[in-house]
Amino acid sequence: MSDRLRTAAVVCCALGLAIAGYLTYVHYAGISPVCEIAHGCEKVQSSRWSEVAGIPVALLGLVGYAGILAAHFWPGEAGLTAAAGQAVVGAGFSAYLTYREVFTIDAICIWCVASALLLAALAVITVLRLLRADPSAGAPPAPRATARTRATAAAPRAGR
Amino acid sequence: MPTVAQPTRKQRRDAARHARVEREAAAAAAAARRRRLTRLGAVLGAAAIVVAVLVAMSASGSGSKAAPRTASSVSGASATSALLAGIPQKGLVLGDAKAPVRVVEFADLQCPFCRDVTLSTMPDIVKRYVRPGDVRMEFRSLAFIGPDSVRAARVTQAAAQQDKLWNFVDLAYRNQGKENSGWATDALLRRLAGAVPGLDADRAFAARNGAAVTGALKAADTLATTSGVQSTPTFLVGRGSSLKAVDAAGLEAAIKAAVKQ
Repeated sequence: MSDRLRTAAVVCCALGLAIAGYLTYVHYAGISPVCEIAHGCEKVQSSRWSEVAGIPVALLGLVGYAGILAAHFWPGEAGLTAAAGQAVVGAGFSAYLTYREVFTIDAICIWCVASALLLAALAVITVLRLLRADPSAGAPPAPRATARTRATAAAPRAGR
Repeated sequence: MPTVAQPTRKQRRDAARHARVEREAAAAAAAARRRRLTRLGAVLGAAAIVVAVLVAMSASGSGSKAAPRTASSVSGASATSALLAGIPQKGLVLGDAKAPVRVVEFADLQCPFCRDVTLSTMPDIVKRYVRPGDVRMEFRSLAFIGPDSVRAARVTQAAAQQDKLWNFVDLAYRNQGKENSGWATDALLRRLAGAVPGLDADRAFAARNGAAVTGALKAADTLATTSGVQSTPTFLVGRGSSLKAVDAAGLEAAIKAAVKQ
């Protein structure tokens, strides 16, 4: 189960990296994003909400997805915590930006919505992984190995 | 008489050990649950703080930072800013409101000849007459060539509400496309508006279909009709209410004559 969640998270990160990478390129190239479905991308991308302190939101997203992806290759509790923290921040901020799209900018950027959905999914997946993690994962190396062996012997499901 | 088998000492010891192991396992599971929830709470709390900071930064500071980047990506933005920097603007008017000579320009933003005249003669007129306070220029948007004209004229008029009409007009000419090719898209107009320092593109786009903009465009159309304007660009030049219609070729001479009066 955990492997499946991890795989799903990595796939979401890869898709998110592709979207954020494209929007970052569009931002710096000064061109309009391909926007065949909702036709609001240019309006959203050129709005004041497309930057935070001079940094394009798309670039923040790119860094965020890269961070979440990297955390999935970071063993132990620290990696799970970092992934969940970043994903929840990303989901929260993209929810705010989606609110701005709908109620302030009055346009929908389909790429941004897709990214917001990916981040929401990542937040759920990473929090689930954090909650289901082996509680002994954060213990010091030697006792952890012993505890794992015992836990696995006593309850096979501890091996998730 | 049957007797109940008493557990042996070893069995009692095993049962006690088993109960102890179960108690320890239950305690360990409870501790693990507490630990996971604490960890989740910490993550959510920290995330909420970071999101709040990002939202505050996004809501307050991003607008001022966005303009320079956008400006740098629009062709001619710095030339337009340099041409008009420091000259007062109010609504349709560029220059000192008390300037003795008045020049009213009728133009369509997708008219190529209007563009040529603006880019070739405006810098000289601005430098010699407008900047010193001898001439005030007034721009009247006509939108008769096609839909691109209408879209551009509406944003132009909306820019006038923010006293940035002349910047927008100059920049639009510098980025003009082929007549009726669909060049004046909302995306382009928004990018142009975003590249004008001090012009709130969102506000301009919110106002462009409003009654004030529609009324101003109708007024320009009426003035063009009553002034006998047949083509663009046409200029009315003179002092007070005594204005004379001239074409682009006669503009500089007419201004010179009016200033000397």
